[in-house]
Amino acid sequence: MEKKIAIIAEHGNGKVKPITYELYTMAKKIQELEPKKSEIYFFILGQDTEFLAQSISKNTGKNTHSMNIPGGAHYNGSLYKRVLSALFTREKFDTICAPHSTSGMDYAPALAVILKGACITGVEEVRQEEGDIGFVRSLFGQKVSATLMGEVCPLVMTLQPGSFKPHSFKSGSPDKKGKVTIENVVEYSEDKMVFTGTRPSASKGSNLDKADVIVSGGRGIEEEENYQYIEMLAALFPRSATGGSRPICDYGWVKYSKQVGMTGTMVSPKLYIACGISGATQHVEAIRDSKFIVAINTDPDAPIFRIADVCIIEDLIKFIPLFVETFKGRSK
Amino acid sequence: MKLLVCVKQVMESGSILQINDSKKWIDHLASNRFEMNKFDAYAVEEALLIKEQFPESRIDVITVGPDHAQDTLRRALGMGADEGIHLVDNHEGYRPSFLTATWIAAHARDKGYDLILTGIMSEDEMNGQTGPMLAEILSIPCCTGIIRETLSPVKKTVSVEREIEGGARDMFDIKLPCVLTLQTGINSPRYPALSKVLRAKKKELSVIDVSFLEKSKQTLTLKNIQHPEKTRKGILLNGTTEDKVDQLMDILSKKALLQ
Repeated sequence: MEKKIAIIAEHGNGKVKPITYELYTMAKKIQELEPKKSEIYFFILGQDTEFLAQSISKNTGKNTHSMNIPGGAHYNGSLYKRVLSALFTREKFDTICAPHSTSGMDYAPALAVILKGACITGVEEVRQEEGDIGFVRSLFGQKVSATLMGEVCPLVMTLQPGSFKPHSFKSGSPDKKGKVTIENVVEYSEDKMVFTGTRPSASKGSNLDKADVIVSGGRGIEEEENYQYIEMLAALFPRSATGGSRPICDYGWVKYSKQVGMTGTMVSPKLYIACGISGATQHVEAIRDSKFIVAINTDPDAPIFRIADVCIIEDLIKFIPLFVETFKGRSK
Repeated sequence: MKLLVCVKQVMESGSILQINDSKKWIDHLASNRFEMNKFDAYAVEEALLIKEQFPESRIDVITVGPDHAQDTLRRALGMGADEGIHLVDNHEGYRPSFLTATWIAAHARDKGYDLILTGIMSEDEMNGQTGPMLAEILSIPCCTGIIRETLSPVKKTVSVEREIEGGARDMFDIKLPCVLTLQTGINSPRYPALSKVLRAKKKELSVIDVSFLEKSKQTLTLKNIQHPEKTRKGILLNGTTEDKVDQLMDILSKKALLQ
């Protein structure tokens, strides 16, 4: 029998998010590795998402099912779990692929429980494993990577953003256009969990998104006072700003408005200097579009070095003052 | 309010991660120490803050793990939790979240907890699944990534803010009982007080061997673990600190990033 792969599209502000097409690239790799024939289907939930469904099916040539939930413009975990579990109970899939986003992480584990399936979160790669498909993900702060396999059907997985390139549509539209189906979900009223609004981000109004150069500090600064080194280094560059990783914001060493990360500001400066930042996914994803990345860290195995253009294994507390002093000496 | 806090014991960050011969887990080296999962410390603290506000509350703290995981329960008791429940699982290796959630659910099912709190994920396995799965097994709502919560014991609801991409916060009113997984920074976890630590040392824990709990089917297999390949796309600077300073200055000057 043909295997079936479902992709749950992620969207926001009236646009399909890139992770949706990263999921598509991954699903196609699963197809290649899968000895049996398989087919990919897209699903999109929300309010008035028909035009997004049209664009997905036009881009991919795949059948896309739009589930229109009145009042469901905003993510509500309780509602999503009910709608998705009803859908996938009615129609069986072998693999259900969701984004490893704040919503995907919220509904995927519960969905697996309801469907009596398996759940693998934060997948970074898929590979052939003894004739079967193995899903690769990080453990221990990205210091270890594990290959896991689902033992029951369906497998509900979430894909770490940035792990696969979004499918490129440059080669033109696919030969056939997928079918778009629309379902109006009306019978679900949600009272256990009611959405009451959204508060804007604390990072609104920071200058991080406008700076040419960003110097950020992480746990490696060790003490609040040492943030002065970050400021000292940033001061050498025109149009610069200072930032911080999530942990130092949590410690209260810098304001949340300075947080560079998926739950803070996503940045793309000409130069990003990461000082004492290990490189958790939440941080790396937010700096990936920087033109040039320099990382200073005492730990040679820090994941930040995997994406840095220049890797410096040094203690920032020693390195930065020397750098500043040397620079000032030279420009005299 | 009757509160349950789920905590996990993990290896201290910075521990030596030596992969064992079967390539399935990390060697238990004598030099490696264990501590409470940092993410869970926020859950213990949040429960204590609730108890300060509603003093008639009771805080149970539960863990699944080997014998030495009791230290983590005692740490939570030292912080101020009331009772400790240890579900003993001496199996070493990857433990799928579904198993952990099934066992905690077996304990929690008939205990009448109003609110169950845990961290957003564990530092070792990083799944972020135990909380959401536990809620689903108990058929109660769950909300993840909570950065603020306000309880209304009279209305039997909790108002929460959950952090989403870009740092904006979605707000929900949720009916109790429910499970919340907490985002870092929601509070500042306290250190255990000496007087409480002494009491915690003597405190009797409820100890249940997981072999007496309901069996759940195996949903996942871990094939192997490895250290990720060093895929450095950039260059590594060599030499003394002075050499590296000079090299970096040259690189940045050539790219016209530093004048």
